[in-house]
Amino acid sequence: MPGMPTDGGGAIVPFTGEPGQGAPPVRPIRHGVAPPIFRTYVSWSSGNLLQVACLRPPNSEGGGGTVEVVGSVVEVNLGDGGSGGSEAEEKIDEAEMRRIEYGSVPAFALLQSRKNSLADAATMSHVPSVPDHEEWWQYVLEYSKTIGNLLGNPDPPVFMIEDPMTILKFREKPTSLRAAWELLEIFYVDKHLQGWLPERLVDWLADFDSLLSTMVSTVYSKLSNFQKKLINLQIVEDDPDYWNGLSAALSVGWLDIVVNMLRFHGSYQLDQMDNRETENGLVEAVAVLVSTMPRLRPNLPTGKLGQCCKTRPDFIKAWEKWRGQVTKLECSAFWIQCGHQKTRDGLKNLLHIMMGNVNKLTDATSHWLELFASHFLYIKPFTVGFEGMHHLAQKCIQLKPSSGTNGLTGLILGVLSENTEVVLAECTKNFGPWLVTHAMELLTADNDYADVMLHEERPNLGGISIEELHRLVYAQVLCSHSLTWQIAPTYLSSCLNQGLGLLEILLLKQPIQDNCLVLKTLEICRLYELENVSTIIMKIAGIYHWKHGRKGTGVYWFQQAHDKVCLDRIAQQLFEHIGKSVTDDSFKQWEGLLELLGSDIGSAGGLEFLHRYRDFKKSLQQALDRRCGARQTVDFLIQLMKNPSTPQRFWLPLLHDSVELLNSKLSPLMNVAETTLLLNKLQELSMAKLRPDFSSNHLPSHAISSVRLALASNLARAILGDP
Amino acid sequence: MADSPSFRRHPLASSVDLVRWLPSSSTSPSGRLLAAAVHDPTSAPADSSIHLLPLSDPGSPLASLPLPSRATALRCSPAALAAATSSGSLHFLPSSFDSDAAVSVPGGAGFHVGPVRGLDCGGEEWVTAGEDGRVHVVGGAADGRVVARRVWDGKGMSGYEAARWASPVEFATGGAGCGVQWWDRRKGDAVVAQYNGIWGRGIVTGMVHSIDIHPSRKHICVVGGSSGTIFAWDLRWPQQPIPLSGVGLNGTAEPVCESEVWEVLFDTYTQSSDIISSASARILPVMMCSEDGILAVVEQDERPLELLAEACAINSFDIDPQNPSDVVCALEWESIGVLTRGRDAMAEE
Repeated sequence: MPGMPTDGGGAIVPFTGEPGQGAPPVRPIRHGVAPPIFRTYVSWSSGNLLQVACLRPPNSEGGGGTVEVVGSVVEVNLGDGGSGGSEAEEKIDEAEMRRIEYGSVPAFALLQSRKNSLADAATMSHVPSVPDHEEWWQYVLEYSKTIGNLLGNPDPPVFMIEDPMTILKFREKPTSLRAAWELLEIFYVDKHLQGWLPERLVDWLADFDSLLSTMVSTVYSKLSNFQKKLINLQIVEDDPDYWNGLSAALSVGWLDIVVNMLRFHGSYQLDQMDNRETENGLVEAVAVLVSTMPRLRPNLPTGKLGQCCKTRPDFIKAWEKWRGQVTKLECSAFWIQCGHQKTRDGLKNLLHIMMGNVNKLTDATSHWLELFASHFLYIKPFTVGFEGMHHLAQKCIQLKPSSGTNGLTGLILGVLSENTEVVLAECTKNFGPWLVTHAMELLTADNDYADVMLHEERPNLGGISIEELHRLVYAQVLCSHSLTWQIAPTYLSSCLNQGLGLLEILLLKQPIQDNCLVLKTLEICRLYELENVSTIIMKIAGIYHWKHGRKGTGVYWFQQAHDKVCLDRIAQQLFEHIGKSVTDDSFKQWEGLLELLGSDIGSAGGLEFLHRYRDFKKSLQQALDRRCGARQTVDFLIQLMKNPSTPQRFWLPLLHDSVELLNSKLSPLMNVAETTLLLNKLQELSMAKLRPDFSSNHLPSHAISSVRLALASNLARAILGDP
Repeated sequence: MADSPSFRRHPLASSVDLVRWLPSSSTSPSGRLLAAAVHDPTSAPADSSIHLLPLSDPGSPLASLPLPSRATALRCSPAALAAATSSGSLHFLPSSFDSDAAVSVPGGAGFHVGPVRGLDCGGEEWVTAGEDGRVHVVGGAADGRVVARRVWDGKGMSGYEAARWASPVEFATGGAGCGVQWWDRRKGDAVVAQYNGIWGRGIVTGMVHSIDIHPSRKHICVVGGSSGTIFAWDLRWPQQPIPLSGVGLNGTAEPVCESEVWEVLFDTYTQSSDIISSASARILPVMMCSEDGILAVVEQDERPLELLAEACAINSFDIDPQNPSDVVCALEWESIGVLTRGRDAMAEE
């Protein structure tokens, strides 16, 4: 049965509940408890630690005298080697993911505070609560760029000595997380560049083509395979992969790579120049045409080729001119003079791609998304609107059915079908709670439908919105790790309905063993004005330190919490202690604690007495050593006896301690009134002695009479001395 | 959130509790070195160690010394690097950084029980002060071992969070609620002066986290602690501390921060605005780091100079004694930051 100890090695078998998932992982636990095991408790500890408690039956035959372990608690780490799956090469490791999580906190917090201040301004001015769109959109774009930078920089390092034979430039390995983020930014946020959307998709594909599929070949995989082969090739133009790679790269618009690869052509070699002149001329002509292809975009990054046209009329003009040149070259008579069959066919193929031949494009590309991009470049450069794009995407999928879908293509289809639910579902499924929580801001940046859908409070979610739900889920992920829990409050505090409640639970669950960690928790309480939570935490910390013998630290926390009740109880415990060792003058070890209590007695509760008692004892010792006047000691004594906070059981020890001092002087130490006060107290004590709840102390039986005698003789002397 | 030209963050992939500059020697092939106490709770069992990091590439440690538990104090002297832990042990790594030559004093009844947060080197001897209320002086024995001698056992009645030598015979300690104590070894290893401190927000006591004593003014302690409090305590006027920063303290400039001040150090780089400062009674500039992410220089009766305002806590920092313009700090979000001040930084860019 799942969850119960098995008979064999005492292993705990987790129950997955879904058949066909393979064998559930089995973790043997060394708990050291001899069978039979009566009960097993499993609970989550911090992070991915599981606490497993194994108990024996309470009264099993104890084996007479041999001490046996009756139970033990074992911690099991589910993190190490648990997954064991090699999912994808570009998977982000945990530390890197934490870096992203930390980095996104300030950007998220800034955006939330801007949102709140815009909302406040709107309510103040009684303008309908439509925030200034232009302004808001800028804020979201800034946020998106900040987070995009965290996910890695696709630009290659600046200082690199490149081998001219390198086809694909070395750069940081792209991650799907970044690809997904950029995609959302392109479609939902960056309004300025909306008109150039097709070209932006082409750029996106250039950056992330390697992520599209690991199973089916892509343009990227074709080129990287050819790169490996290139070293061993004598005559590149004889290899069909060379021409395949060229047409593939051209079809998705990687013009710089095409031009670079064309220069590998054998006709460029000096020793062959003379007899392959025409051929070389044709290759170079194609290269020039490729590098001057008109592109409907404002600018190009350095190293990329093509001529930029910012406006549509400019582009149409340039496009027609360029197409004319391509057609002219295609019909040129020079092809007949070109002796190399493969070169002729390959170059012609490139020209057909540039002329927008659908069949050639379909052959050249592998993945439907690549075909999609090639349509933008060579067939429909003016595609706008999600509907048209979605239609085109469907057509491409039909032409390339084998490519399948992964997270990224699913996301693109969701975006193109203008279905926010699908986008959200794809993000949740493939990219985890971090992306969903942060991408929510992108989805709602300029989309009223998404805004309503994500912010509507839903009864089936317990009255919270989808946005809040995802934030809570992400916050839970953060809370489960001891390094990231501190950033969870930022997200919890942005959840209006359930965030604060969960935040309080989170703070109360933090470990209190370490003073520095407690202070960090208290700082969060201070930021969110949770005074009641911080008081509870301080009390818990106080009790912990008190129980572990660090009395001073315990008292410190109780004082911070203004916990009079605990301080009074501690005082009682200390009185017990002192009551026993009252004749013993080793007050030294109490010194630190008493200093801690400070001179401001008010905050110390019942401990106030201890402070005065210490002063009295010190002074008494000094008076007996004749180092200071006895009068001061007597003052302390009278103060103590007058003070209502002095426990009754200390009256006799106090008086008894003073007997020696009283008797040592010939002149009276106290006046009549003072002596009478002390005698009255003594009388009260004698009466109390008859009550059953009187706590006796360890003084000799004649203590009362000796005190009485000393006080009486002092009184006599005082009366005589009174003028 | 672009970094300013003189500040660089280096992610370390585990939590960085403390960071120090190591005294650099001209013979060292790897240039200037840092020591960082790191803690990784994700591995099982949780892994704590001291890493030696080259300044040129702090991401890849040159050497590391494993610790039995999380480091709570880290100091270096010309001869050794010392770390104290939350389980009460003390570890020394000789300046050759050969981890086989490391020696340690195990935690427990014979030494400290619980975290040791006060640690300082006073030439020949080290002082340790723990939350258990014990104070030890640790020195080397003739045979290369280390010997700890108990100076005081507070039996938990007070807990210490900081310790600093003033001279070979005097040191200061501070802790939770007990303010600052001045110990004199010539007077029977006893506390000769004591001050409870001044704390903001109407609270009576606060926690001292860090103490620094300037080598040229050995009678003045500068103390950092709870509620953004920084004050200087002059032994000559022990009942009249000089507030440098704090919430709700009268007569001070606005507080530089409102949260815990984790560390304070006299800043030898910042010139005091008072030209004749060496002769005046003013407190020299003090650098501090705090839980709310502030790294700043505070000065008596001056506006604080904020060097960094991070989004996360700055747990520890150190000023390079040999190049006081360079500051290294440990950031809560698993990274260290290196700040370079002054003209040199601009020229480098």
